[in-house]
Amino acid sequence: MRKRSIILVSMLATATLLLSACGGSSDSNSSAGSDTTTKGSFAAYDETKAGGILKFVAAGAGGTLDPKVNYTAQYWQLYQASYDGLLAFKYADDEGSFEVVPDLAEALPEITNDGKTLTFTLRKGIKFSDGTDVTVADVKASFERIFTVSSPTAGGFYNGIVGADACLKKPAGCKLDAGVVVDPATNSVVINLIAPDETIISKLAVPHAVINPAGSPTTDAGTTIIPTTGPYMYKSYDPNKSLIMVRNPYFKEWSHDAQPQGYPDEIHYTFGLTATAQVTAVENDQANWGYDPIPSDRLNEIGTKYADQVHVNPLTAMWYLPMNVNLAPFNNLKARQAVNYALDRAAMVKIFGGDKLAAPVCSFLPPGFPGHEDYCQYTVGGTPEAPATAWTAPDLAKAKALVEESGTKGQAVGIVVSDDEVNKQMGEYIQSVLNQIGYKATLKPISGNIQFTYIQNTKNKVQISLSQWYQDYPAASDFLYILLSCGSFTPGSDSSINMAGYCNKALDVKMQKAMDLGLTDPAAANKLWASIDKEVMADAPVAVAFTPKQLDFISKSTKNYHFSKQYKMFVSQIQLK
Amino acid sequence: MLSRDKRSWISLGILFTVLFLSLIAPLYASSIAHTDPFVSTLNATININGETKQVLEASTEGLGLGVTPIGPTWNPSAYFLGADNQGRDVAARLLYGGQNTLFIGSCAALLTISLSLLIGLIAGYRRGIVDSILSRMLDVIWAFPVYLLSISLSVVLLTSGLSLGFIHIGAGSIALPIFIIGIVYIPYVARPIRGQVLALREREFVRAAVGSGAKHSTIIFREILPNVMPSVLVFIPIMVALAMLTESALSFLSIGVQPPSASWGTIINDGLALLYTRPIVALAPGLMIVLTAASLNLYGDAVRDALDPKTRGRGDS
Amino acid sequence: MSKFILKRIAAMIFVLFSISVLVFLIFFATPGVDPAARIAGRNADQLTLQQVRVSFELDKPLPLRYLSMMRHLFISQDLTSYVNRGAKVLPQLFQAIPATLSLVFGAALIWLCVGIFLGIAAASSKRKWMDPTISFLGIVGISLPVYWLGEVVNLITQSKLHNSVFSWLPPLGYVPLTQDPLGWFLRMIFPWMTLALLYAGIYIRVLRSEILSVMKEDYIKTERAKGASEKRILYKHATRMSLITIVSLFGLDFGALVGGSALLTEVVFGIQGVGRLTFSALQNFDLPVIMATVMYASFFVVLANAIVDVVYALLDPRVRRV
Repeated sequence: MRKRSIILVSMLATATLLLSACGGSSDSNSSAGSDTTTKGSFAAYDETKAGGILKFVAAGAGGTLDPKVNYTAQYWQLYQASYDGLLAFKYADDEGSFEVVPDLAEALPEITNDGKTLTFTLRKGIKFSDGTDVTVADVKASFERIFTVSSPTAGGFYNGIVGADACLKKPAGCKLDAGVVVDPATNSVVINLIAPDETIISKLAVPHAVINPAGSPTTDAGTTIIPTTGPYMYKSYDPNKSLIMVRNPYFKEWSHDAQPQGYPDEIHYTFGLTATAQVTAVENDQANWGYDPIPSDRLNEIGTKYADQVHVNPLTAMWYLPMNVNLAPFNNLKARQAVNYALDRAAMVKIFGGDKLAAPVCSFLPPGFPGHEDYCQYTVGGTPEAPATAWTAPDLAKAKALVEESGTKGQAVGIVVSDDEVNKQMGEYIQSVLNQIGYKATLKPISGNIQFTYIQNTKNKVQISLSQWYQDYPAASDFLYILLSCGSFTPGSDSSINMAGYCNKALDVKMQKAMDLGLTDPAAANKLWASIDKEVMADAPVAVAFTPKQLDFISKSTKNYHFSKQYKMFVSQIQLK
Repeated sequence: MLSRDKRSWISLGILFTVLFLSLIAPLYASSIAHTDPFVSTLNATININGETKQVLEASTEGLGLGVTPIGPTWNPSAYFLGADNQGRDVAARLLYGGQNTLFIGSCAALLTISLSLLIGLIAGYRRGIVDSILSRMLDVIWAFPVYLLSISLSVVLLTSGLSLGFIHIGAGSIALPIFIIGIVYIPYVARPIRGQVLALREREFVRAAVGSGAKHSTIIFREILPNVMPSVLVFIPIMVALAMLTESALSFLSIGVQPPSASWGTIINDGLALLYTRPIVALAPGLMIVLTAASLNLYGDAVRDALDPKTRGRGDS
Repeated sequence: MSKFILKRIAAMIFVLFSISVLVFLIFFATPGVDPAARIAGRNADQLTLQQVRVSFELDKPLPLRYLSMMRHLFISQDLTSYVNRGAKVLPQLFQAIPATLSLVFGAALIWLCVGIFLGIAAASSKRKWMDPTISFLGIVGISLPVYWLGEVVNLITQSKLHNSVFSWLPPLGYVPLTQDPLGWFLRMIFPWMTLALLYAGIYIRVLRSEILSVMKEDYIKTERAKGASEKRILYKHATRMSLITIVSLFGLDFGALVGGSALLTEVVFGIQGVGRLTFSALQNFDLPVIMATVMYASFFVVLANAIVDVVYALLDPRVRRV
C-alpha cells in the first residue's frame, strides 16, 4: 500500500518575473464563471453556494500541525485556506496559481538597495481567529519563530535575512532586530537581506513564512493549535483520528485573489482508510476526496464509470534513478549511460498507470519548465553528442555493449526502492533490465518512510535507487542546483539530497552564473540552464524516467474543483451545494 | 464415509500432485508456456486466436486511465492464468512458487512443532521453577513485536547482511523466514501442550508410574507423549497453513523469497494490487494453500486415528 | 492467592523489561532509522539537523536514552511521538483501546460460539458427511490471509454490491458504541466475521480432535458403563476436559489481539484502534509509539496467560499447582 508521501514537495514558486508586471492589485477583476478555467481570478463569492461539511480521507496524518515546521504537501494544501503570510500564491487556475499576490501586506514590496531591502505595509483591521489584532510585532515574531522552532527551511530559504546566521547557530531566543524592522506607527515591515535573492518573493509566500501570534509556542507546536487568519481555523487535531477545521468567525475577505472566503462550513479530514478504501468511499459519496494516490487497479474503473469526477493536471515533477557516482559500477560513466539507454521509460509509464498519467522524459528539467528543451540523448538513434528530440524506445544492444566496454559486467547491483506497490513494481522492472544488460541485480525495497533519507546517506552504500522530485518552482535552480550541486552532497549525513554524490566544480560555477543571470536576464539564464541540463545528462549521474500527472478523484456532490499548480486542489473553493 | 485408507491415499495423492507440479515448473515454463517467469515483459504481445494483444493493455475506454494485465486464457501454452503486473505468466510463477512455499512452510512447521513439544513436555512435567522460567520465555516470545523485528532485520540485511559467527545470511536466504516463523509460533503450540501435560501429570496412570520408581524419560515417552501426540498432530496442518501465510508477510517485508523469485505468498501480494481487475492472481495461490493444508489435514486425521493408542475407530463411539 | 498475584506481577515486570530493552536495541541497531532527518524535513540544513538531534536527545548514549524514554512513558507519562510532534503517546493509545476492544470482543464471541459449536458437532455428529465438511471449512478459514479476505469483503460490500444488497452498510471506520449503537454494530459486523474466521477454523480443528481423544479415555468408558447418557458424557466430561487446550489458545489469541495483533484487520477496515496505531508507528519508525504499544501488548499477553493458569485449575481440579 502506499503511505502518505511525506513531504516532499519542495514547493516554492518564484515570482521575480511577475513582480514588475503585477502592480499589487488585490481586487477581484474577473467575471469568469466558477467552473470555467481562465487564467484570471475566481468569480466573486457566491453566498448561495456556501455551507456543508467537506469530508477528506487519508491513510495517515501529515505530522505536526505547526505551519512553520510542517513540510508536507498534505497540510500545505490546508494552510492555503487557513494561514496567511505577507504574500501568498494567487487563487487562480493554471499558470495564474504561480503568481504571488499581496496577502496580509497591502501591496507587493517596494524593493530598494539593489534588491536587498523589501518594504511592506501591513493591512489594518485583520484579526487572528482568537480575536486579537494582527500587528507588526506578530510579523517580526513570526520570522524569528522560523529559527526558534528549527523550521526545515530555516537554513535553505531564510538564511539570507540579516541576522539569520546567528539564529541558525543558536535558535533559542532568536532576534532579527536588523533583519526584520517594524514600525507600529506606520504599520511598515522592512526585511533586510544580505544579498539579493531572485526567489525571495516566493519564499515569503510559502507556509513557513506565515504570520502567527507573537505568543505562539517557541518550540514545534505539534498538535497544539495555532490561531489562523484565513477563512478556516483548526478546531481539533488527533493524528490517529481526524483533523477538524471550522469557519474563523473573525474572517472578512480582504483580497479575493490572496484569500477568498471559503464555501464549506467545516472541513473534516479523517485518517486511517487505505488508498483503495478511499476510492470506494469517494465513489459512494461518503467522502468528497481522498489524499492518497489511486491504486492502479482502480484507475480503469474511475476512468470509465466516474469519468466526469476525475481531474488530471500536469505536474512539474520527475521520477528518476540517482546512481552513486562514487561506488562501483556506477563510478564508471559507461555503466551509467548503459542504464540510461536500457531503461524502457514506456514500461515505467505503464506501471504508473498509462500514458494519460505520465510521459517518458530524458531531460533533467521537466517539460513546461523554464530551461527545458525537448531532447533525449539516451534513446534509439540518440547519443550524448547528438541527442534525438524525444525518447522513442530503449537501445538494449547499445546498453549491453557499453556495459561490456566498461568492464563492469557481472557486478552485483542493489536497487533501493520504497516498498509501496508502485515503487516496488518499478523496482522489479529495473532489476529485470539490469539483469538483462549484464549485472546481477537485487531489489531492496524498504519502508517508504525511511527510504528517502536512507538513500541519501553515503554510509548505506546505495548504488542505485528510485526517487521522485516534485517541484512547482519555475526556475531551474531549484531542480539542478539543489539536486546536483556539490553543496547538496554531505557524505555521512541523512540530509544529503544529492543522492548521486555528483560533484562537478566546473558545473557548479556555471550554475552560479546562471542564477546570477536570472536576476537580470531570465531568458538568457534559461538558455544557459538548458545547456547545463544537457551537460549534466551527458555525465549521467541519474537516469530520468518520466514526468507524472496529478489525478484527483472527487465525489459526485463535490463541485467547483480548481487546481493550483502550487498547492494542488483549492480546498476552500469546493462547493457542496 | 471414506475408510481410513482411502482418506490417506486421496490426501497423499493431492499432496504428491502439488509437489510434482512444483517440481516440473521449469519444464512447464520452457516447453509448454514458452516463457521466462522471472523477466519483466511489460511491452510484450501475444497472439490469441489470430488476434495480437498487448500483455499489459492500456485502457481505451472513458478517460483511458490504467493498465490491466491480460486475464486467464485457460490455454496452457500462453498465460493460462493470465499475467501479473510485470507481464509474467502467473501459472508458471505459481508452479515455481510452490517449491519455495512448500519448503518454507513444512520446515517452519516442523521446527515449531518439535521445539514446542520439547518445551511443553519439560515445562509441564518438571513444573515449579523450570515451568515458570520456560513460561515467561514463551510470554516474551509471544508478546514480542515480530513485525518490528522483521522490518529492522530486513534493513540490516539489505545494508550489510547478517553475520552469526561463520554463517553469513543474506536478504534472500530462505533459512531466515524458516527460523522466524518457526520460533514465533512456539508459544501457540507449546502452551496447550504444557497445559495437557500438567493435567496428565496428575492422572492415576502417571502417578502410578512415578510411584513405581520409573525413570522420568520412560514416563515421558511411554505414558505422556503418546497421549499428547493426537493434539500435536492436529497442529501440523494448522501450522503449515499459518507458516505459508506468514511467509508471504515476511517476503513483503523483504525477508525470504525475493523478487523476481516467487512463492505463493509473494504472488498473493502481487495479486492484492490487482484485486479489482484480475482477482485470479490472488485467488489461485490462495487455493493452492487451501488445497495443501486441507489434504495435510485429512492425512493428519488418518494418521492420528492410526496412532492413537486407545483408538478403536470412530464407529464405536 | 496473594502470593500468586505477587509472583505474576514480578513476572510481568520481567517480561515488560526484557521486551522494552529488546525493542530499544533492535530499533537503534537498524541502519537508517535515525529520525532526525525525517523530523527535520527535506533537504534540511546540517545545523537544523543537529538541533533536532539534540532536542530529541538523540545525541545521548543509548542507556540514558532508554532511561529517559521509560521515565517519560511510565513516570511523567508525557512521552511524545517522533513523527507527530507534540502528540502525546499515552492519550493516543488509550483513545484507541475502545475500538480494539469492540473488534476483539465481538470477534471472540463469534469464533468461540462457532468454534465450539462446530467443533462439538464435528466430533459427535452421526451424519457422516458433517465431520469432513466442517473440517474442510475450518482449514479454509485458516488458510485465507486476513488482509486478502478483508479486501475482498470490502470489494463486495462497499464497492460491487454497495448499491444493492449492502446499501444498509455504513462507510468503513469506527464510531463509539456510546455515540451510535446501531452504527457501531453495523460497522463492526464484517470486521468481526473476517477476524473470527481464522480463529474459528483453528478452534474447530483443535476442539474436535481433543473431544475425540477424551471420549476414548477409560473414565469415560466407566461413566458410560454406569449408564450415563451420551449427551451427559459429551458435555459434562469430554467437552470440559477438551477445553483445557482451547483455554490455552484463547488466552494467547485474546491477549495478543487486545494487545493490537489485529493490525491488518484494523487497517483494512479503517478501524482506528491499537493495531492501526502500531501499524502506522512501525511504518513511520516512530519509536515512542512503538514502545508504548509493545508495552501495552505485553501487559495483556502476560495478564491473559495468568488468567489461563487460574482457569486450568477451575476446569481440572486435579491441577492443584497454581
